[in-house]
Amino acid sequence: MNARFTPSRQEDLSLITGKGHFTADHNYPGMLHAYVIRSMHAHAHIKHLNLEAVRAYPGVRWVASAEDLKAMGAGNIVNPVTAKGKGGEEQVLALMPILAEGTVRFVGQPIAVVFAVSALCAQDAAELAEIEFEVLEASVDPEQTTLPSAVQLHGNAPRNVSVHFASGDAEPVNAAFAKATFTSQLRVLSQRLMGVPMEPRAVVAIHDEVAGITTVHTPHQGILGMRNFLALASGATPESLRIDANDVGGSFGLRGGPYSEHAALVLAARHLGCAVSWVGSRSEIFLSDWHGRALILNGEIALDVEGHILAIRFKDRVDAGAYNCMMSTFIGTRNLSITMGGVYQIPALFMESEVVYTNTTPVSAYRGAGRPDIAYAIERLVDFAAHQHGYDPVALRRKNFIAESAFPYKTANGSTIDTCLSEKLLDRALAISHYATFEERRAQSLSQGKFRGIGLSTFLEASGAGTAPKDQAWGEFNANGNLYVYGVTGPSGQGHSTSFASIIEKALGWPADRVRYEAGKANQKLLGNGTGGSRSLYGAGSAILAMCHQMLETIKPHAAKTMGVDIAQVHFENGVWLANGSTTTTAQIIDALKNEDKTSLSALGEATSGATYPNGCHVAEVEIDPATGETHLIHYYAVDDLGQVISPQLVRGQVHGGVVQGWGQAFCEQVVYDSQGQLLTGSFMDYAMPRAGCVPHLTNETYEVRTQLNLLGSKGVGESGCTGSLPALANAVMSALRPYGINQMDMPFTAPKIWAALQKAKA
Amino acid sequence: MSQISLNINGTTQKLEVEDRALLADVLRDKLKLTGTHVGCDTSQCGCCTLLMNGDTVKSCTVLAVQANGAQITTIEGLASGANLHPIQVAFSNCHALQCGFCTPGMIMATAGLLANNPQPTDAQIHEGLAGNLCRCTGYINIVESVKQAASAMQEKQA
Repeated sequence: MNARFTPSRQEDLSLITGKGHFTADHNYPGMLHAYVIRSMHAHAHIKHLNLEAVRAYPGVRWVASAEDLKAMGAGNIVNPVTAKGKGGEEQVLALMPILAEGTVRFVGQPIAVVFAVSALCAQDAAELAEIEFEVLEASVDPEQTTLPSAVQLHGNAPRNVSVHFASGDAEPVNAAFAKATFTSQLRVLSQRLMGVPMEPRAVVAIHDEVAGITTVHTPHQGILGMRNFLALASGATPESLRIDANDVGGSFGLRGGPYSEHAALVLAARHLGCAVSWVGSRSEIFLSDWHGRALILNGEIALDVEGHILAIRFKDRVDAGAYNCMMSTFIGTRNLSITMGGVYQIPALFMESEVVYTNTTPVSAYRGAGRPDIAYAIERLVDFAAHQHGYDPVALRRKNFIAESAFPYKTANGSTIDTCLSEKLLDRALAISHYATFEERRAQSLSQGKFRGIGLSTFLEASGAGTAPKDQAWGEFNANGNLYVYGVTGPSGQGHSTSFASIIEKALGWPADRVRYEAGKANQKLLGNGTGGSRSLYGAGSAILAMCHQMLETIKPHAAKTMGVDIAQVHFENGVWLANGSTTTTAQIIDALKNEDKTSLSALGEATSGATYPNGCHVAEVEIDPATGETHLIHYYAVDDLGQVISPQLVRGQVHGGVVQGWGQAFCEQVVYDSQGQLLTGSFMDYAMPRAGCVPHLTNETYEVRTQLNLLGSKGVGESGCTGSLPALANAVMSALRPYGINQMDMPFTAPKIWAALQKAKA
Repeated sequence: MSQISLNINGTTQKLEVEDRALLADVLRDKLKLTGTHVGCDTSQCGCCTLLMNGDTVKSCTVLAVQANGAQITTIEGLASGANLHPIQVAFSNCHALQCGFCTPGMIMATAGLLANNPQPTDAQIHEGLAGNLCRCTGYINIVESVKQAASAMQEKQA
């Protein structure tokens, strides 16, 4: 290696040299390759399925049908979170079978799986499948799907409704609206998106007959979520599954649990007695990775004469797609309600949401999972109301911020926010964005025929509370002189190893470059949450900090021995061991131990960490060319309170990525189906992605307010970039267009859409 | 099946490949050079980018038989022994990678860009990387790393 080169993250060296190890890189001798036969129709009965020619094709070893997998114990795709209806009714659930049973309900739904000597052979053989469909009418539009004219997807779900949820108290809200001086109403879409991790979903499974364990290599967000949900989906016991991923090429919420291919491959590995591999093509991924967002948010706000917000209410529509898979209920109920008042002190809040079925790919979590969406809806609504009733949007926000003296603040629908210093973050963001002199820049742009706009968002989000009762971390020293740390949460680019090593270096005085983090240990017995809801750093990180505290106790007798003092005389402070005026380091103590003493040192740490409230103020400045409708993002400013920051470089990187994913939703990305439920955006040629240069200038800072809600004091950063950027970018676009009579438009703000709106406004 | 010969990262390899086999798949499956990644099936994502006879190509869109006789450089062949290439160093220095799946393609695309244009402007960098998708970094640090690598390579030459 170059003499002076130290990688900036532990994860980097293998990834920049092509030695990363992703799921599709596994290549076992004698491995068979799978191809999934999928539905080409959005809604159809399978009248007849003949797979004999596929089975007879040279090189094919097995073709799995729905009956085959059911006979082997296969269950359904998991829906781990349910919600009660507003009257306490049980939620209607329509679970997705591993392979379609008699009816298909979205284009891309798996019907059968072919296992053959090569991927191409399996694909060739699949062409020979004879499937006779009776095509049914499809229901694609989430608003029309509840009308009597819409076809019903599931026998147990009248009006295609899964649950009609409510939060808050309607009465005081209605009373507030009755006495309000001003009211505004704004319906916004958070359009359906693709998550698009760059590594396509893949599964490689191999069964050890003697041990009775199937190893499943697959990108995941945490071993426990994947293992336990996969056990339910495949019928295997959790103890007989070992989940493994070395490198994971992005997750963004899509990889918390198994898909059909996971269950099918576990059963195939057991049935066939050899390794089996399925690597999704991007076309299949567009059809079958859970989609994201797909929300319609209908907000109303009531103000008194002085501009105090008296109440907010929402009526939301949540498109679950064809089945309840993974997190759509969680998004459409908990996550849309928990921070529905944003950063504002509002006496009355009420929301209701209907989670509905359509003949489209099931929807689950995508970066933020309802948090960016509700922040977007609130911040658009507040901005819209300010302009509609003649308030300055900054002043209106300022007037309504939760007062510093009010924390911990309990919202009208029951969330308790520990701290959120919006005023301070707003002041800082206004200063660095030169907000006060914007009108000069607007005039300059206009002199060149361009429309300039500035938009801001003051926002907060509730990070993931987690589903496991606690997070645990296990640390042990290895004979090679490294500290191995095991946990549940699995990284997918966030740099868990680097951040966790920083925590350990500070807490234990042990060099960060001698720490190795791995998700999962051979027995995989630890408890904990996966990556999700921005919680790994503070959840797993707090457990790791607790492990360090335990480890110090374990090391203490050795420290005393090394320093030649009684154990009562030694103590650890600021990264070093002290006794009678002399000092030594943890590394010196450990390195002096014999191997058997070294490897006997271990410690378990655990921590219970609930949701936190990351918050921020973002400002975007844009310029629109009215001749083309194209929007150019001039500069983006982000000031975030993420609590205690562990790694400033990784935090900046997370904000960059989040803001640019927000840019993607604001300006180009959208999943489009035709009226028959055919996916029109099925490749990167049709689904527009952010590219280099779309956000050319981004300034981001942190304003650290430690939270007392976890041991580490951190709040999480994974989703704040998306949450802050949707409203800031949209408000900037509306600011540019408002002088021309355009007050509302839905994302994505594509050039043709803006151009057409300007033409219409002119006419 | 066809017999082909490829010079890969300085070593000549003789191979028997299916006529329809793609270069990316042959590198990954037959030669175990799994640093070249496949992220799409429409030649859009750029994860499979490598240098073929000095030009950047997307190896998912090249038949292995088309590469017969070519000089190929993959991510595994970019460093000189233990010395990393300045682009590799810059990507780590600037935190231009998170999950790292797009990284080999990004680095190889940058190698091609800087070979043709040693001091690109921001706009030229954006254009040079237009065929490579990244979902994690927002590209901001990638653009920085291209600039840092360009400076380092200039200094090295001077």
